[in-house]
Amino acid sequence: MLDASVTTDLDYHALNAMLNLYDDTGRIQFEADRMAARQYFLQHVNRNTVFFHSLEEKLRYLVDEGYYEPQVLAQYDRKDLHAIWEAAFALKFRFPSFLGAFKYYTSYTLKTRDGQRYLERYEDRVVMNALTLARGDADLAMRLMREIIEGRFQPATPTFLNAGKKARGEFVSCFLLRLEDNMESIGRGINSALQLSKRGGGVALMLTNIREHGAPIKGIENQSSGVIPVMKLLEDSFSYANQLGARQGAGAVYLNAHHPDILRFLDTKRENADEKIRIKTLSLGVVIPDVTFELAKKNEDMYLFSPHDVEKVYGCAFSDISVTEKYAEMVDDPRIRKAKINARAFFQTLAEIQFESGYPYIMFEDTVNAANPIAGRIAMSNLCSEILQVNEASQFNDDLSYAQMGTDISCNLGSMNIARSMDGGDLGATVNTAIRALNAVSEMSSIESVPSIRKGNDEGHAIGLGQMNLHGYLAREHIHYGSAEGIDFTNIYFCTVLFHALTASNALARERGQTFKGFAASTYADGSFFEKYVTRDWQPETARVQELFAQAGIDVPSRDDWAALRAAVMQDGLYNRNLQAVPPTGSISYINYATSSIHPITSKIEIRKEGKIGRVYYPAPYMTNDNLEFYRDAYEIGPEAIIDTYAAATQHVDQGLSLTLFFPADASTRDINRAQIYAWRKGIKTIYYIRLRQDALSGTEVQGCVSCSL
Amino acid sequence: MKDFICPRPVPRAVNWNRIEDDIDLDVWNRLTVNFWLPEKVPLSNDVQSWSQLTDEERQLTIRVFTGLTLLDTIQNGIGAPALMPDAITPHEEAVLSNIAFMEAVHARSYSSVFSTLCSTSEVEEAFRWSAENEHLQAKSRLILDEYDSPATPLKKKIASVFLESFLFYSGFYLPMHWSSRARLTNTADLIRLIIRDEAIHGYYIGYKFQRGYERLPEAERAELKEFAFSLLFDLYDIEARYAEQLYDGLGLTEDVKSFLHYNANKALQNLGFEALFPDDACKVNPAIMAALSPNSDENHDFFSGSGSSYVIGKAVATEDEDWDF
Repeated sequence: MLDASVTTDLDYHALNAMLNLYDDTGRIQFEADRMAARQYFLQHVNRNTVFFHSLEEKLRYLVDEGYYEPQVLAQYDRKDLHAIWEAAFALKFRFPSFLGAFKYYTSYTLKTRDGQRYLERYEDRVVMNALTLARGDADLAMRLMREIIEGRFQPATPTFLNAGKKARGEFVSCFLLRLEDNMESIGRGINSALQLSKRGGGVALMLTNIREHGAPIKGIENQSSGVIPVMKLLEDSFSYANQLGARQGAGAVYLNAHHPDILRFLDTKRENADEKIRIKTLSLGVVIPDVTFELAKKNEDMYLFSPHDVEKVYGCAFSDISVTEKYAEMVDDPRIRKAKINARAFFQTLAEIQFESGYPYIMFEDTVNAANPIAGRIAMSNLCSEILQVNEASQFNDDLSYAQMGTDISCNLGSMNIARSMDGGDLGATVNTAIRALNAVSEMSSIESVPSIRKGNDEGHAIGLGQMNLHGYLAREHIHYGSAEGIDFTNIYFCTVLFHALTASNALARERGQTFKGFAASTYADGSFFEKYVTRDWQPETARVQELFAQAGIDVPSRDDWAALRAAVMQDGLYNRNLQAVPPTGSISYINYATSSIHPITSKIEIRKEGKIGRVYYPAPYMTNDNLEFYRDAYEIGPEAIIDTYAAATQHVDQGLSLTLFFPADASTRDINRAQIYAWRKGIKTIYYIRLRQDALSGTEVQGCVSCSL
Repeated sequence: MKDFICPRPVPRAVNWNRIEDDIDLDVWNRLTVNFWLPEKVPLSNDVQSWSQLTDEERQLTIRVFTGLTLLDTIQNGIGAPALMPDAITPHEEAVLSNIAFMEAVHARSYSSVFSTLCSTSEVEEAFRWSAENEHLQAKSRLILDEYDSPATPLKKKIASVFLESFLFYSGFYLPMHWSSRARLTNTADLIRLIIRDEAIHGYYIGYKFQRGYERLPEAERAELKEFAFSLLFDLYDIEARYAEQLYDGLGLTEDVKSFLHYNANKALQNLGFEALFPDDACKVNPAIMAALSPNSDENHDFFSGSGSSYVIGKAVATEDEDWDF
């Protein structure tokens, strides 16, 4: 405990920062953070919140003044509105951490137009989410409110931020666009990037099909300037557009490793890159097929192929063919111009750039496509490398109208808190409600500004249910992250979630009398998707994990359950083409008091920096001075245990999982390469950031700082 | 052909495979790994935040930064080079040349902040201010006087450590304060990169001081120590007034002074001397202390900035065994 005299004269920022400083006896000052949260309400929030005498008065004011969307409320009886608000406030929600409260009030809650006064408390925001997504179903709204406020399910930022507000951005987080090898497609792509950033969320674009630097245009050699200028245009577009100032636009670009511009693409992130080509805020991703690994294994050169020529020879875009499958054929085809680089040197360069910048992300192309239950190819991912869906090229007329509309990808996300969902005791119900909330976002979204995205969403209703707080849960249960029990739990938990997610989407298909377009050609339709679940048992292997599920009262589906689900899916189909994707969960995991995603913690006390909130300190959930041993951080745990944990989850997730790898700064590029090879071998689909931590040179540390000491 | 009449010592090539002092290599490695340029920080993301500061706050910020620019300029052009003739090992000279160069990068960085956020007239006003500010000029003069006197290598080091580990911090306080209030967070990233460097510079020069100091006879040691404390008193006096002049308007002076005490102790510690200020006088606002951490374990999101975490890595080729799958 802190003595009161020390703390009453400190403001909440100072109290929060005390988390990062040990007390005199070398213990972490958790109490200071709880006081910070309390002081934040006393000193700031309560004084700056508009007061209403009754719910009626509040709703009338918010609707009349144009803050709330009247249609959302009009779908419900007055008595239902009273019931849900009363129930919400009766749950006595309190923010367990300062960062959670601070983040919520800084970035999410509804404010007066001058930004000075708060109009909502947390309960109001949750209820507006529930009412918006339940679309008039009072019973569903009540269930959804409980799932959110009790912390089992948390909609992603764009949904949580915008639901029920009159002036708002879209509910959808994430967009993926293809660019083709012509000016119309590039121009349309830049327009789409602007339009989508304006409405919220990140945009990823695939550059693989754009012809390389020096390629001919209309048969004249050395005319094309390649992918770099396109990246520059995109970077400027993203920094120009932001969602009502709520957050900056953000974008990613993906390029196949066998594109001739690959080294130029990577060099844009070099520390000493020239201003003209340096890329600061755009994220990069590289798509690597299996053949690149095979070539590196044999220490051979890898050929890079001109997309323009590939398209002429095969009659389809470079991204629509499998480089692994056609590699030998393309090498021998004189019509395709090519360059070559050493494959191992390529991997080393990749790691060097990752050291300097954390980029690029990596997508293992063949692993992704082998695990894809949907017909068609996946050739890119998104800003957080967890969305993996099929898309189709569009063709444009000279006036940029569609000659043929393809499909592009949007994905709306939401994450479950693993600890709270286990505590809740009815995983099936939680997943079902979460799937319905996400599905509602999909059905309510219609991105008119980018018709190819609207089409993709209308046809597929793809959603991405994520998970967070794995490390928090395991540590609370005294299980080490990455241990046999930790991996066993991850495997069975994700397997069970998949079962319930499919069950929920199957029920939706029955209710709507409709499946996603392309269901018939998927491996769900012929039942082969279920093969691995009906031919072996998926049950906990360790006593501890059996005990955890038994104590929680959560049944793990048996082979018979899976066989019954298979029959139901083959009969009525699925409503959602994609169901799961595990995002990195930044902001929402703070509000929800969870550890991010299924990562280990990055530090016992995390230093969080964001444009909107500055530097704030966040204690790992459920951590006390007595259970610190279970909170080894990601750098201590090392890449292999993280990869093993992700591999256990990956086998039950139809899309991807954002997987960051962590290294000490004295690691070499070889260590990074080895981890990448290990990840690829273990069936990991994508790798997100590479993060490095440098310890202070002894003699230069800040005294008594928690995050400085190991 | 005639022999040279005036024989100069045989020039020797620096041999990094024969290290006389391991600290030289450690520090060299750390400094090169930490190399950075201001262009990597997306300062333009602070434009909006900058416009929300009041006129007084903006003026204060620019002035503080011109003050810092002056110190970096001195250290780049005069301070670090002045230490070179006294280097004990050839590797020390190499490290000092790195330090000198990075100080130039730091001075350059403030101009990046200016060109991104401020108007030309605001900046010119501030540079004029820095040339005319009595306190800023007084402390520069005190330091430069030591750099100019050739006979006292260890006194130069003392002055240099005070500059690196003490004088900068009255200025560093402000961006750390802004960043703990969610203002100018990208600028704070850049300043944190500078702090990361200065922490090592102060440590290293202090370490070299201690190696020279321990070889001296008792009497000379006592004299040097007295010199160090007396210089620190003089500098502290100026710093206190400088801080009052800058920070009284924001009501932060008391906290800045605690911060000065803390860093004065840190500078003395780098020289191997005991602390001057008692712990009670060094109780800095925890938000500033925690913001100082030179580590790179900060978590940031891609919507905001580059952070101050990445370093230049060691490239090692993979071997056949790595590809055994």
